[in-house]
Parts: sequence; structure tokens; C-alpha cells
Amino acid sequence: MPHDEPSRAAAGGDDTAVLLRRCADGDRAAFRMLYDRWGSRLHGIALRITRQAALAADATQDAFVQIWQQAHRFDPDRGAAEAFLVSLVRYRALDLVRRQSREVPGHEPDEREDESPDALSRLVSTAEGAALHRCLGTLDEERRRLVMLAFVEGQSHSELAQRLKVPLGTVKSSIRRSLLSLRECLAS
Amino acid sequence: MSDAPDRDLLAAEYVLGTLEGDEAQEAARLLRDDPAFAVAVRAWEARLVPLANTVPPVAPPPDLWDRISAATGAQAGGTDNVVSLALRRRMRVWQASTGVGLAIAASLAAFIVLRPVPAPRVAVLAPLAGGVPVLVATAEPNGALNVRPNGTIAVPSDRDLELWALAAGETRPRSLGVLPAGGRQLVASLSPGTQLLVSLEPRGGSPTGQPTGPVLYGGRLVAVD
Repeated sequence: MPHDEPSRAAAGGDDTAVLLRRCADGDRAAFRMLYDRWGSRLHGIALRITRQAALAADATQDAFVQIWQQAHRFDPDRGAAEAFLVSLVRYRALDLVRRQSREVPGHEPDEREDESPDALSRLVSTAEGAALHRCLGTLDEERRRLVMLAFVEGQSHSELAQRLKVPLGTVKSSIRRSLLSLRECLAS
Repeated sequence: MSDAPDRDLLAAEYVLGTLEGDEAQEAARLLRDDPAFAVAVRAWEARLVPLANTVPPVAPPPDLWDRISAATGAQAGGTDNVVSLALRRRMRVWQASTGVGLAIAASLAAFIVLRPVPAPRVAVLAPLAGGVPVLVATAEPNGALNVRPNGTIAVPSDRDLELWALAAGETRPRSLGVLPAGGRQLVASLSPGTQLLVSLEPRGGSPTGQPTGPVLYGGRLVAVD
């Protein structure tokens, strides 16, 4: 079971919130525990977006530095610890990979491998994941794929248009409609 | 937010990561300036985060913890750690005492930012990897910022040092301009807890508006009551 780690981490969300609280108090042992628990997960996310080992390591490093510096901003009343941590590494990875593509014209990252067909089934390990899985199921195949590619692989509107050979406007409106459907479905 | 459906969609696209160009800049600006937009972003992060569970974990490089440890000032053991701990505690008490949503918290933050504390503040800038202080910065309540070297700083002839301010909670520093090796006096509005950073840049400063070279020195502004 290579993927039982995410569900275990998700199930330990409360512990993560406690560790973040301790980080906010300057507790380095808690910071190390947080790294042991989340390092591989966040690095996997960064690697999927950047597709370059060095850039992914930078993104993971920056995310943990931000976690240490911003732990006091985490408020359990406002959101899950998981969303706080995952968002930090995703934004950092997106920032680094897009900055690189701007500054190194013509830089082509490695080819993307096809996403595993059972990727979606891994969603159902948590209650929130199961709800999102159900709602993604209400989208047609193409739209579901767009949302997944965007979130998981960090593809921009224009990258998606290029990759799927669809006009940019079509990608944008398709994603917007998908997001509206998801919002409505998740609220019900 | 019911009257701003476009804003909510923009927040969703920001979280999804698909925005580019003007739209990306607009989202970044709103995230900084509009508490309601920040709330919408947090909500979308919570909605979509389970998607990250579909990505298999990958062990980071073995030396990554050491790099993180160095970058977070494990070595300092002195001023910065102690001071930032005190600052964070103050922040926490303040957060707990509001206890009602980001909007109020954010407006309070704006209030605090707009009112400089009436005592001079000092930052000691040391190499991020540890070592003796290289620069000392003093920020007066009237906005005067005086940055002085603590000894001699060697800068390659084809490079310039650039000074940056990273406000507490922000992830992108704001340029305060090129910093001559002999120091500089300038005027800047800096909120409490701001970190001052110095990076090595091409002559004339960073061409991108963000640090492009290594960040050499850093330190946090703290009140000297």
C-alpha cells in the first residue's frame, strides 16, 4: 500500500495542528516532527508540479521555511492544517516553475508521464476526499481531467490548451464551469 | 461574497493554479489587499486539497532537513529566535482575542501596519547560514531607515547588493533599492516584525522586482523599548 501515508497524515490532522501550534511557539522538536510526517508528501506534490528534482527540493525547502515562519498564522478555526501545508508547497512550486519558464526561454521540462488511472480512487480515503470524488464524478471526463491536471500538475490555462489542443478560451470557460459545479455540489 | 461571483471564481482559479499574466497579478494583489478574497481563497484551498492526496509521496533529498534547519536560523540561538518567538506570541494573543474571522483580523492587521509603533526598531542582519552580524538597520518612527555595515563588506565589481523588506506573513519581499557597501539612509514604511533581507544582484539591482541572486543576509526588525 504505497499510498496509505496520505490517509494516515489526513487522519492525524489534529496532531498536525498541535505541531503547528508548537512551531509557532518556537519548538524546533515539533518542527522536526512536522518535517518527518509531511516532508515526503509535500515533496511529492512539489515534484509533480516542477518535474525537476532540484526545483522540487527548493520548493519543499521554501515551504518548510514558510511553515516555520508563518506557523503563528495557522488558525484551526479557519481551515485544516493539511490545506495550510499543501497550499504553501503548491504555491511555491508553481511560483518557481513559472519563474523558470519565464527566465529560461525555451526550457522544456521532462515529459509528463500519464497520470495513473486509479489516481482519483485515492481520494476516497477521507470524508472530504469522498465528497470531492463524488462531485468530480458529476463532471464529464474531459472537465474532470482539466481540473486534475491543473491542480495536481500545476498546468496553467495556456499550458492546458496547448497540451489538450483546445482553444484557450474553451479551456478557461470549461474550467470555470467545472469550478462552479464543484462549489455547488460540495455545498449540498 | 454573494455579490462578487467573479471574485470567487478568480479565487478558485488562483487555488487551482491556472492563472497567468494580468489575472495572476490581480489575484495576488487581491490576496494581499482584500480580506474577503483571502477568505474565498482559503475556502477553495479546503475544497480542493483532497486532490493532493492523489500524488504519491516522494522522499526529499537527504540533506534537505539540514538546509531547512540552516535557513530557519537553528544556529542563531540568540537574538532572532528569541525575538521572533516573542513577536509570534504577541501575534497569537492578538489573534485569539479577536477570534472572529479573517476579515476583522485583516482589518486589524492593516490598522497595525498603518500605525508605526512609536519606538525606534532595530534589525541585526547576519548571514542566513549563521555567523556574525554584517549590517545593522535602525528604523525611526518617522520612517527613516538607516542601514550601516558592521565592518567591511566585499561586493564583486559586477554586482550590487539590494535591500528588501519582507513583511510578517508575506512571502514576496518588497525592494528598498540597491544598498551600497558603505550603507544607506532611506525612508520606508515598515510594519513591526518585518524582515530585512540583502541579496546579491546584477549591477543596478534585480531586473525582475524579486531577488534573483542569493539572499546573503537577513534579520528581523524588533522594537527597542
